[in-house]
Amino acid sequence: MSEQKQKPSGLSSRLKNTLDFLFPFLVIGILWEILVRTGVIQLHSLPAPSTLLVKFWELAFVNGILWKHLFSSLYRLFAGYLLAVFIGTAIGALLAQNQVAHDMFEPTLNLLMSVPTIAWIPIFLITLGLGDKTVIMAIFTSSFFAITYNTMRGIEMIDKSIVNAAHLMGLRGLHLFLEVLLPASMLSIINGLRLAIGYAWRALVGGELLAAMIEWGLGKMVYQARYFNDASVMLLGLLIIGFTGYLLDRVFLTILERNTVEKWGMAVKK
Amino acid sequence: MDPIIQIQDLYKTFTENGKELVALDHINLDIPRNQFTVLIGPSGCGKTTLLNTMAGFEKATSGKILLDGKPILKPAPDRGYVFQDYALFPWLTVLGNITFGLTHNGWEKKEAEEKARDYINLVNLQGFEEAYPHTLSGGMKQRVAIARALAYNPEVLLMDEPFGALDAQTRKHMQRELVKILEKEQKTVVFVTHSVIEAVFLADLVVVMTARPGKVKGIVKIDLPRNRSYVEDHYLHYREQILELLEEEVEKGFED
Amino acid sequence: MKRKTLLAILPIFIFLLGWEVSARLEWVNPVLFPAPSAIISELVDLFEKGLPAHSELINHTLATLKRLGIGFSVGVLAGIFMGVLMGLSNPVFHFFNPLILVLMSIPGIALAPLFIIWLGFGDPTIITLGALSTFFPVVYSTTTGVRSVDKQMVRAAQIMGATPLQVIMSVYIPWSAAFVFNGVKLGLVRGWMTVIAVEFVAASNYGLGYMIWYATERLKADVVYAGILVMILIYFILDKLLIENVEKKTIARWGMISQKQDG
Repeated sequence: MSEQKQKPSGLSSRLKNTLDFLFPFLVIGILWEILVRTGVIQLHSLPAPSTLLVKFWELAFVNGILWKHLFSSLYRLFAGYLLAVFIGTAIGALLAQNQVAHDMFEPTLNLLMSVPTIAWIPIFLITLGLGDKTVIMAIFTSSFFAITYNTMRGIEMIDKSIVNAAHLMGLRGLHLFLEVLLPASMLSIINGLRLAIGYAWRALVGGELLAAMIEWGLGKMVYQARYFNDASVMLLGLLIIGFTGYLLDRVFLTILERNTVEKWGMAVKK
Repeated sequence: MDPIIQIQDLYKTFTENGKELVALDHINLDIPRNQFTVLIGPSGCGKTTLLNTMAGFEKATSGKILLDGKPILKPAPDRGYVFQDYALFPWLTVLGNITFGLTHNGWEKKEAEEKARDYINLVNLQGFEEAYPHTLSGGMKQRVAIARALAYNPEVLLMDEPFGALDAQTRKHMQRELVKILEKEQKTVVFVTHSVIEAVFLADLVVVMTARPGKVKGIVKIDLPRNRSYVEDHYLHYREQILELLEEEVEKGFED
Repeated sequence: MKRKTLLAILPIFIFLLGWEVSARLEWVNPVLFPAPSAIISELVDLFEKGLPAHSELINHTLATLKRLGIGFSVGVLAGIFMGVLMGLSNPVFHFFNPLILVLMSIPGIALAPLFIIWLGFGDPTIITLGALSTFFPVVYSTTTGVRSVDKQMVRAAQIMGATPLQVIMSVYIPWSAAFVFNGVKLGLVRGWMTVIAVEFVAASNYGLGYMIWYATERLKADVVYAGILVMILIYFILDKLLIENVEKKTIARWGMISQKQDG
């Protein structure tokens, strides 16, 4: 109810926040444009923002190549990431049920979670080939451990009285998991999801760049431009990678957070 | 009477949600030298704001505060401040916290440490020189904070509900300790509290403030010997007097 | 305690044993999945190759460590400096924060093609990108730390006579230590990953990443696994040495470790 009241001001403040966020990019863009126009910078490898905009227009609306790159990347990201989310939370929950299982796998998980993601890519390139499978598997592996570990820890840290209350009310198995354990450990799970999306994003771009058989994807877009020495495509691709990576965390996880832990008063608003 | 601090026509506003609120409404007050002055009032009456303005943490909208005739503009070591939540530096030991004010005022490290040890003795924390604050109890932390504020010998000690975070038992104990410490160290103290019991136990002078906007509602001089008891007749009489002044204000506070 | 250690080792042991057996009996393709024993012996070979004068493995590793060392140090120092600046000044924060958030979402390796155009193959590109990858997380965490400083502590220092510079040195910096360590920790992973990954595509002829990539392209799986093993081991050692050690002597002793919550 109070949310509805706040909506108009919430929307305009969100617009203001967005503009504030974009402001420095605008300032730097204009400065850069001036430097190029006045001839202070005269480098083929550092094109003016106007050149980037023209390129953007061409790639986005004339031949539409940009969308193909973007969507193949997002497709791989979500294939690998969602797989890791489902399998990771399930395994995390199972490990949390049993002390022996916990003791057996906790250290290994902790170890694997901190393996730098780039380490997986050559292994999968060799074993799974140079295409999609490798990239998706790299995304899956780099996000899986963080999600599993945080789910396990989250469920283990749930207040025992909540679990007891649920038992008394007769909740068992999947119901217990979905209706009690999952929401009660949401804070930790979201923490894991946030870490994982960062890892996944890095694995995706790195994988696309390095897997030779892949033709589409933001990582490939940047890498291919090398053959044409086309700095404007590279810069454009990098900006899109930066913004998309940032928005994935911001939009996707913030929405999840707002509708769960914040609504339930479990997290302090930043 | 020789006032050490003179508050002259002090007026202070701040904005909250776009509305301008008056925190302190033309306050005139003299703080007597080497005496214990307590500021008391309902919550939100601006007593902490007044104390922070004396400290120089906050600026007056108009009017001024003079310390020995000179206007207070910013925090400086002629004042000491004891915070409710201690504000000890967690990365410094007890000794390190207490020497902070000395080494930052030109003392040599060795002499500063000697001086700090005197104050550690004064607040009864012998043996905890090398302890880090997080290992101490609330009462012990506040003793470190008091020693820290006294060690560099400021002219005025400002205390913002220093015992507010302590449990009732420790609180009483600390009040007695503070009286003992001040017997050895003559100091002007300005002490903020919302506890009437504490005010009458500690003060020479109790300044009762009104609910927002903060004004001086009345001043009660406590004429009791230093070794006070919480239950004797005179004590209870002063308590009643202050409570009466406060009661109207608390009711006003509720009407807001 | 002992039971716990045993239980912890058990799955790793079973996994390695299963792998060893499957590779030996050729249930899996031993070219793609060489047995752990084969990987270890390859590791020894790599180490011995070129001895006594120049062990190939050591040379590759040192080349990479040198690049990381320079890049990481520059990234950390620049990051702390920038972070303190952003933490202390609101306008600086509001201007640079969006730039940093977006730029830190770009994986270091994606910048490689552009920097190859600018700086060419080899050390300049690798070191610069290592520094950049370290820089962003350090800036981000330092800024967060400085901005979260307890105002009361600043006031306490001010009233005790600390000058603005002294307040920065004696309150802001130690207060932010927990956050800075978090940033440095993340900076180390990112820097390490970036240096190795950029070596995949931009090293001229030396470096652990170069060695791994050279072997990847020729399907020499045992070298790849051995190289990755070395890479992971070095990372764990650096993390222990550089970060956990310092942490133990500082924030853990100060009772500030609870702030270490990772975002």
